[in-house]
Amino acid sequence: MWLSSIAYYFFYPSFFIPVIFPGLIFILIALLFTIWAERKFAAKVQMRFGPFYASKRLGGFLQLVADMIKFAFSEIIVPREVNKTLFILGPILITGFSLVPISVIPISSIPQTGSILSPYYGVFHDTYSSLSLFSAVLTPYSLALAIALTSVVSVLVILTAWVTNNRFAMISGIREGYLSVSYDALITISIIGIALEFHSLDISKIVTAGIPGIIANPLAAIVFLIGMLMGSSRFPFDITEADSELVTGPYTEYSGLLFVMTMAGSYILNFAYSLIFADVFLGGWTPLTGFPGALLTVVKAMIVLLLSVFMRSVYGRYRIDQALRGSWKYVFPAALASVILGLVVGPWIR
Amino acid sequence: MTSGLEGMLSGTGMEVEVVPVEGELNVGPQHPGSGHMRILVKLNGDIIEDVDLDVGYVHRSVEKLSENRNYIHLIPLVERPAILDSIHMNLGYVMAVEKILGVDVPPRAQYLRSFAAEVNRIASHLYGMGILAVFMGHSTGFMWGFGDREVWVEILQALTGARVTNSYIIPGGVRRDLSPAIKEMTEKGITYMRRKLEDWQKIFINNPNIKARMQGVGVMKREDAIRWGAVGPNLRASGVYYDVRKMEPYAAYDKLDFEVPVYKEGDAYARTLVRIEEIEQSMKMLEQILKEIPEGNILSDRFFRQIPPVRLKKWWEGQRRIVMPGYYASFRPPKGEAVSRVEAGRGELLYYVVSDGSSKPYRLRMITPSYRLIYVFKELAKGCRYADLVTVYGSLDYFPPEADR
Amino acid sequence: MDKVKEYPKGENPFKLFADHLAAVGTGLKYLVKPTRITLKYPEEAMTLPTGYRGMIRLYKDVCIGCTLCAMVCPADAMKMATEEGKKLPMINYGRCVFCGFCVDICPVDALKETGVHDAAFSNRRELVFDPDKFDKDYDELPSGEILIRKVKTRIDEKKGVIHEPDQ
Repeated sequence: MWLSSIAYYFFYPSFFIPVIFPGLIFILIALLFTIWAERKFAAKVQMRFGPFYASKRLGGFLQLVADMIKFAFSEIIVPREVNKTLFILGPILITGFSLVPISVIPISSIPQTGSILSPYYGVFHDTYSSLSLFSAVLTPYSLALAIALTSVVSVLVILTAWVTNNRFAMISGIREGYLSVSYDALITISIIGIALEFHSLDISKIVTAGIPGIIANPLAAIVFLIGMLMGSSRFPFDITEADSELVTGPYTEYSGLLFVMTMAGSYILNFAYSLIFADVFLGGWTPLTGFPGALLTVVKAMIVLLLSVFMRSVYGRYRIDQALRGSWKYVFPAALASVILGLVVGPWIR
Repeated sequence: MTSGLEGMLSGTGMEVEVVPVEGELNVGPQHPGSGHMRILVKLNGDIIEDVDLDVGYVHRSVEKLSENRNYIHLIPLVERPAILDSIHMNLGYVMAVEKILGVDVPPRAQYLRSFAAEVNRIASHLYGMGILAVFMGHSTGFMWGFGDREVWVEILQALTGARVTNSYIIPGGVRRDLSPAIKEMTEKGITYMRRKLEDWQKIFINNPNIKARMQGVGVMKREDAIRWGAVGPNLRASGVYYDVRKMEPYAAYDKLDFEVPVYKEGDAYARTLVRIEEIEQSMKMLEQILKEIPEGNILSDRFFRQIPPVRLKKWWEGQRRIVMPGYYASFRPPKGEAVSRVEAGRGELLYYVVSDGSSKPYRLRMITPSYRLIYVFKELAKGCRYADLVTVYGSLDYFPPEADR
Repeated sequence: MDKVKEYPKGENPFKLFADHLAAVGTGLKYLVKPTRITLKYPEEAMTLPTGYRGMIRLYKDVCIGCTLCAMVCPADAMKMATEEGKKLPMINYGRCVFCGFCVDICPVDALKETGVHDAAFSNRRELVFDPDKFDKDYDELPSGEILIRKVKTRIDEKKGVIHEPDQ
């Protein structure tokens, strides 16, 4: 008896999604897996082994766990002439705000009977799309809210760069400021194209429209992908943390657990973007429902994440003015063209 | 920031040191993109106004040390400044000493010297491209540069006995001879490198990202290149046809048939293309050397006669290795001075040796190619953006220990 | 006089896109079929080719004490010690640069190069070898718990440097 009531509170979506799956605990393990995959992919292209010795049978996966433990126990050095509160808050805010968008993205639909999530059918019923959604926060404007929440992180990166009081971090904060204007514009306009095409800002309606976004509007998919690479500092847009020019960029003075949080923050933001990509462009949880649907969405998001992490082994890094010029000269017209394409194709999708 | 805002902020614990738009950055020795030296950069926003190179961080006083050591002791010493190009540093010094001694070198030794020099040139260019790639963030180029260099370093190890610190060339000839195993290794290495260069083209040279980073960056016009004294592939990429191997041939270069690539534009991309084509030309030269090398002795007769026949039988006929006669331990060349020029991997290398009749040189002066590039680096970095500083650095293939000696 | 070349310029957007795809395609090709050149040291130890200039071994009975090796050493690593009226060389491995001049110049072949390059010592005094210690051989591997496989390197046309087992 009491077991079922514990199960009711445990699987309550507003608790389950942000904390367990695909929230905090799942993200930490997926983060280790992603960094391991990045190092292994790069190593395969580069004629070497990558993480290997720590656990030979697992392919070196435990190396990442060892790295986490080492960083967690390193000494946190706070320089003397910084504002200590903000210095420590900066990375914590980056990681925290990267996790927030995950709570507004629906990752599955709840069938009325037969699933472990069925008790919540009535609670999370969305009258707008007449579906019950497995989402932490139920809102009919989930797409706009998710995009808005992901754009807060860049301001926090600039805050971290400012508070570090170091010339290299200052230059890197300026670069992040320039970049954030560009990629936010690209992502927002491609999402507007999608929203006009599918006639709603609700992700669940887009998913259940029957046609995945990548076929309905491929231009918007490419623009969103490029914007995602810019926003989470993946190569070739690794410009804020340009290793050979600015020593680690805004996170130069961080060590220990705070450094881990900054590194984790950019991967978590990438994961949030890839969840949006998987839902909007790759069809989300269809054709499954319930808990397997959630697994399918997360698997699609992980594939997108691994693809964007693979770019490290192929590309170098753009200069800041080239990235800006490229995005405003080539990708921005493509984004506007995707809006027009969405308006044209829209009437067929009803 | 206005003073009103600063007045408000002071006293709340939120003061920060405001860097004005014009500031100075210390890209110092502890920096991932600076090598072994300090670069003081005066920035105006994102444009570099002036670069102050602080060379001398790895100065090892090779020229002063060479006043206190014998001629044969100096062979490992002078190859150390640019250790990845050690055959060329060795060759220049030994050529100057041979001019003072008046020793002639047998033709097989000349061909062997060219062989080792070309293998080392390929290894040095791959190292330079690896460093250039990692400065631009392209870590695959870095790993491939060093992984492919392994092939050539293994060939040098089989030939000379050591991977990098070769000490292969001695006055009068070379120390060891080719064997059929080395010939086979070289042929396979050439096939492998040709195949790998196609992948290099796709992932690095023709990568639009890298092309955008390098085209139009650090442009050196033809007159500037001659006036500032640039050497090596940097000079040839600015339209000047100058290569010491063609102007004053040494070793076996007058008998080999090769082209010297010259490009017109003078930017970082042209310099990289010159290096890639020089690798291909070096491989052609290696194939020619392996076909045409004459039989004979590898040490000049004047010293070869001094080796006792028992040792000669064991080492020379058994393993094709030269052993040194006791003459080398401390020899006294006649009084005189000599200048020798060699085309090293990075440019022209000049040695000036003065002997006063004793067993130690009176003066040894070496002008390395990176030493001449200090001024070129300083001039080329003006007007670039900050991210181009490391591109200019990597494309010039500036190597701080070679400049500091 | 060779002619001066120029590289092609101009940005056709379709060619740019094709170049991007070629770069990613090359990366994917190596992702699927990697060629690795790492030597898994210390489980695999490399046998070096003959003639490799490693640590040196002295043959005490052959040496005649001519001191040519100490005269030719560039780093002042060999010094002569007098034992019962006979001069024998001592070597300081902290200074030796492994140039091989002493092996080449010894008139009676009392010095020989071994293939050992990775000996380790625990303090600086152990680096100086007196003639008795110099007389010993370093070629044996330590017998221990780790099974060490000997490999030898070979240059291959497709994969570059590969390490194959040595019998």
